[in-house]
Amino acid sequence: MSNLFDLLVAGLATGAIYALVAVGFTLLWQTSQTINFAQGEFVMLPAFLMLAAMHVGAPFWLAIILGILLSMLLLGLAFKMLLVDPMMRHGVLPLAIATMALAIGIKEAVKQFFSAEASPFPSIVPTGDISILGHAVSLQSIGVLVLAILAVFGLTALLNRTSLGHQMQAAAQNPTVARIIGVPVERMILLTFLINAFLVALASLLITPIYLAKFSSGEVLGQAAFIAAIVGGFNQVRGAIAGGLLIGVLDNLAAAYVSTQYRAAVPMIFLIVVILFRPQGLLGRAEERTV
Amino acid sequence: MSAVLEVTGIKKTFGGITAVDGVSFDVREGEILGLIGPNGCGKSTLFNCILGQLTPTGGEVKLDGKVVTGLRPSELNKLGVSRTFQLLQVFPKLSVRENLILAGQEHQGNMASRLVGRSDAGLTDAANQMIGFFKLDHLAAEPAGGLSYGQQKLLDAAMAFMGGPRLVLLDEPAGGVNPTMLSDLKERLVAINREKNATFVVIEHNMEFVMSLCSRVMVMAEGKVLAMGRPDEVRKNSAVIEAYLGH
Repeated sequence: MSNLFDLLVAGLATGAIYALVAVGFTLLWQTSQTINFAQGEFVMLPAFLMLAAMHVGAPFWLAIILGILLSMLLLGLAFKMLLVDPMMRHGVLPLAIATMALAIGIKEAVKQFFSAEASPFPSIVPTGDISILGHAVSLQSIGVLVLAILAVFGLTALLNRTSLGHQMQAAAQNPTVARIIGVPVERMILLTFLINAFLVALASLLITPIYLAKFSSGEVLGQAAFIAAIVGGFNQVRGAIAGGLLIGVLDNLAAAYVSTQYRAAVPMIFLIVVILFRPQGLLGRAEERTV
Repeated sequence: MSAVLEVTGIKKTFGGITAVDGVSFDVREGEILGLIGPNGCGKSTLFNCILGQLTPTGGEVKLDGKVVTGLRPSELNKLGVSRTFQLLQVFPKLSVRENLILAGQEHQGNMASRLVGRSDAGLTDAANQMIGFFKLDHLAAEPAGGLSYGQQKLLDAAMAFMGGPRLVLLDEPAGGVNPTMLSDLKERLVAINREKNATFVVIEHNMEFVMSLCSRVMVMAEGKVLAMGRPDEVRKNSAVIEAYLGH
C-alpha cells in the first residue's frame, strides 16, 4: 500500500487539474447559462491537437502554443458562435443536449481520424522524484500542482481585482443593468468562452502525460469536473476549486484503500450525499433562479 | 427655465394593445416631476420608451433639444440619462463600492487598459463620496446581495447618480422601503437635486412621498395624460379622483 502522503500529493495534483476544468465549467454557466457536457472532451482534444502539430514536425513548445491557440479558436470562439448562440435561442436544456451531442462528435472524430489507441504524451514538467520530508514525491505531481494553482490564482485575480473582471462579473450577475451602464456584455461572454478554452487546453497539457492521450478520456474528466463543480457549489469559482481538489484526493484515496474498480464510484456516492444534504454545494449559496 | 426632456406624442402598442397613447410632456431643468397613475396605466412602458429599452411606435424624445428617440440605453447613459428600477437591479456578488464604481465607469475603452488597474482613483473617490452621501459607509465592502431590501434600494439610487447624470428616471424608489429609510431617501434625493442640479422624473405609488417630493405631478390613466400640475392642484382634480376611485 502506498503511503498516505504520496497519495495526498498525487490526489491534489489531479484535483488541481479537475479544478481548472470545473472552474471553466462554472464560468460558462454563470455568464451564459451554458451547461457544457462536452467539457471532458474539451480537455481530451487539445492534447491531440498538440500531438498533431508535433506529427507535422513542430517542436514541443510550439505545439503547445499552437494547441492552446487552436483550442481557443475551436473550443472558445467556434463553440460559442456555431453551437451556443444558435442553440441558446431554444433554451438552456436544448443547448445542454447539443453539448452532449458535441461530446460524442468530438470523441468519435478523434477515434476516426487520429487513433483509437492511447498515445503517450510528453510531460511539460520534469519527471522523476524528489525527496520531501523523507518521502519520495513525484516532481510531475508538484509541477502540475504549482501550474494549476498559478492558473487558478491568476484567474481569480483577474475576476476580482481588475475592472475587466468586475465587468465580467457584472455581465454574469445582471446582464440587463450591465448593458445599460455600457458594459459590452457580448464581448464579456465571449471572453469567458476563450478563458474556458484556455483552461481546458492547460488542463489537457497537464493531465495527458499522466493518463495518456485517448479519445475516451474525456468521459472520466468531464464527470470529475462536473462533480467537482456541483460539490463545490455551482455558482462559485472558489467552490469549483475546492470541489476539484476534494474529488482529486478522494479519487486517489479510493483507488488505494477501496479498490481501483470502485474508484469512480466513490466521487459519485459523494456527489449524491452532497446533493441530498447540501444541494447548493459545500461553498455555494442557495439562489433562486428560473430556467 | 429650459426643458431638459421633451416628450412629444409618444405611443407604444403591443399587438392590439395600446400601452402608451400619445403622451406629451416636458421636464424642466432641475425639477422633480412625479409620475403617478393606477397600475397598468403605462408609466413604466413610457419610461422604457424614453430610455431606449423599448422602441416607441410613434413620437419623439428630445434631450436638451436634441432628438434621442431610438438610442440604446447605454448611449443615453453616456449622454447623462440614468435610471433606477422598480425591481432591484444591483450586482449581488460585487461589493457596494464595486457596484458604484462599475456604474460610474467608462466601459468602452480598450480591453488591455482595463486589465491593469482596479480602477482609477477619481472613480473610487466618487464612489466613496456616494457611499457617504447615502450613509452606506458600514456596508461599503459587503456584497450587495447581502444588503436588506431598503439598503439595496438606496444602493440602486446611488448607482444611478454615479457619473453626475443630468436626468434620472426613478421607477418606484419608495416601493417596499420602510418609513424611516423612506424619509432618509427623500432627504437624499432632495439634497442631490439641489446640490448637483440633477433633474428627476419619479414614478411612485406612495402619494405622500410624491406629493412632498415633487414640484409637479403628471397623472396617467389608460396610456394617456390625465392631468399635470402642482401637487395640490392635481390632488383636487376630479378626473384624477375618478381614475383612482373608479366610477
